[in-house]
Amino acid sequence: MTLNLPTGSRYQQTETTPEAMAETVRSQLKKPGWRLGHLTARVLANGRLALEALLLDTATGSGVICSAALPDGVREYPSMTALVPAAHWMERAAGEMFGLRAVGHPRWKTLRLHAPVWVPDLAPLESGASGTPIPCEPYAFMKVKGEGIHEIPVGPIHAGIIEPGHFRFSCMGEIITNLEIRLGYQHRGLERRLAEAPLAQTRFLAESASTDTAAGNALAHAVAVEQMLGVTPPPRAEALRTIALEIERLANHIGDLGALAGDIGYNIGPTLFPPMRGAALALAQTLTGNRRQRWYIVPGGVARDIDDARRGEMIEGLNALHKQVRRHVPLILENPGVLDRMEGCGRLSSALAKDFGMVGPAGRASGGRYDARAAFPHGIYPAGAPVAARYTEGDVLARARVRADEIESSIAIIRALLDDLPVSPARVEIAGVLPPNAAGIGVVEAWRGELIHWITTDETGRIARYAIKDPSLNNWTGLAIAVRGNLIGDFPVCNKSFNLSYCGNDL
Amino acid sequence: MPAVTAAPCTGCAECAGVCPTQAIALAQDGARTDVSLDRGLCVGCNLCVETCPTGTIATDRSTRTATRRREDLVLSNRAITPRPAAPSGGKPFRRSLAVREVSTGDSAADLEVIATTNAVFDVARLGVQFVASPRFADTLLVTGPVGRAMREPLLRCYDAMAEPRLVIAVGTSAITGGLYRGGYAEANGVTDLVPVSSFVPGDPPHPWSIIHGILLGMGRDGG
Repeated sequence: MTLNLPTGSRYQQTETTPEAMAETVRSQLKKPGWRLGHLTARVLANGRLALEALLLDTATGSGVICSAALPDGVREYPSMTALVPAAHWMERAAGEMFGLRAVGHPRWKTLRLHAPVWVPDLAPLESGASGTPIPCEPYAFMKVKGEGIHEIPVGPIHAGIIEPGHFRFSCMGEIITNLEIRLGYQHRGLERRLAEAPLAQTRFLAESASTDTAAGNALAHAVAVEQMLGVTPPPRAEALRTIALEIERLANHIGDLGALAGDIGYNIGPTLFPPMRGAALALAQTLTGNRRQRWYIVPGGVARDIDDARRGEMIEGLNALHKQVRRHVPLILENPGVLDRMEGCGRLSSALAKDFGMVGPAGRASGGRYDARAAFPHGIYPAGAPVAARYTEGDVLARARVRADEIESSIAIIRALLDDLPVSPARVEIAGVLPPNAAGIGVVEAWRGELIHWITTDETGRIARYAIKDPSLNNWTGLAIAVRGNLIGDFPVCNKSFNLSYCGNDL
Repeated sequence: MPAVTAAPCTGCAECAGVCPTQAIALAQDGARTDVSLDRGLCVGCNLCVETCPTGTIATDRSTRTATRRREDLVLSNRAITPRPAAPSGGKPFRRSLAVREVSTGDSAADLEVIATTNAVFDVARLGVQFVASPRFADTLLVTGPVGRAMREPLLRCYDAMAEPRLVIAVGTSAITGGLYRGGYAEANGVTDLVPVSSFVPGDPPHPWSIIHGILLGMGRDGG
């Protein structure tokens, strides 16, 4: 279970017991700047299961892997959710993937692998573990009791062109009293596939975690692999990767602002914003050869360099886009008719956002200060990180404003890098084998927020566990809480203001 | 996407070795090597193009990549007798199409489907509109690899549609499951679940390619 982490590594390991785990994690998280990055399990060489929490220090960009081996054949441990609310979905996910029960979890049920589609003891990641997987209980929705309460089931297939998920509203008239979100429809078995694939192919799968975040996922994967191999990408590669990451942010934020306006019936959004998003995707096409930046960021650098002609094209395109952004964003954010609908809608308090460990624009709109670009090394960061866009109101408008601010800062970052690209190779060769008993952790500020790829190898250097923590895993609960007390008719605009990933959650 | 050219292949098999989805097959035919590339499995990563020393596999930038038959996605350097044209969806769909999209795990393909409706790609110009209910729909457009948990919702959506109806598989993962194929989640695409009228390869396909696939489904030539 003891990992071979090089001295001077940003990540260290502490070993504890399953009984002491919750308290260890809680006391660490009390320190300012610490957060729960992820909580999952892995199978050790001796067949035992180990519970592992990744604790991150956002002040120094470092972290601690807190490991607790379970006794031989034991498949349960005391839940930490009551002490650390951010762990509640993570414990459920680890439960069904490893047949591992978090005893005392306040809402113990499956997260993705619901019966009868999946057999209760499937436990797809526990292969080789000792003991019998504990089957998951069937899923039961929370019932709201009281006169006049009615339920509205929505999904998995929605009216629009959206990913599938099930929303169960309990309403009093038009007012939402409770929303329960049940996902898992797109479970594709990705984490198991990642532990089976040859190292040369893991990047393709890593990007597929959520294909709308291809650059973010590829970068998190590359950072984790490079960390394990002790490789530093050349400066030009770091700059080009950052451009790719920021183009992804720019395109998606522009799209989201337009869609937000569309959801309240203001047609400037769906009319003017998609072509602007297209202009951002054209930058991606020029840089990577692909609108969605697939297959571009690779361990060791980027798949293709850029010449001066294409660089000039990008600068020209970016300047034209910036002119449009400055003209069109105020049409939405300085418009009394729009403000009237967005202000106060879907409010999420700073205290709850902190409890759930919310990330990205949704976290920063509820008073959070955390932007992984300011803390964790990826691309040119943290050196070139922008000042985090931050609002405290926690409503739809705040989430829109964070995006508008980040559109500006992303444009500034891309422009500065294009104007002054470092001269070096764009890629270095990397070894084809990972070191044994090692861990690599890529923490990236993707457009939805903190994205983590966490790789652990076995004693032969093969990947034993490849864990992905999509930003949305932290944020879905925030959406469910934010809509309470709002009109059911405002759900679409609330939902879009979070715009979370379903497939990144379902894996 | 990668395509197979007439340039003679030396049979080095580098391309088949680097392909993450086993989309490339080589067969020795006397002195020549037959290369076939199945775009129904190809994710367009271009590793084969980069490793091919002879240019037998090269990038084809055309966005007219959709086909009406699954077997037409398999490109080869063998001179083959042209197959008769695949039957089209025929008259009822030629001038307008109501499409119900079902997403099952490829969010980028969903974004590209949405992009077909914007002012630049403007699929509405062709009489195509996306609708909220399978009851209004002529066509089921599927993205993503259809894992176990999406099978029932997808089939129920299909069953709710009046006949005649079409199915368009958008993206490599929708056609065969792509990178996910063969796992415990049984995410092997839509091809074996319902009859597919047109296939749009790519991971994700370009909006023009998606429109090409829709036109083929409608029984038009797609340019």
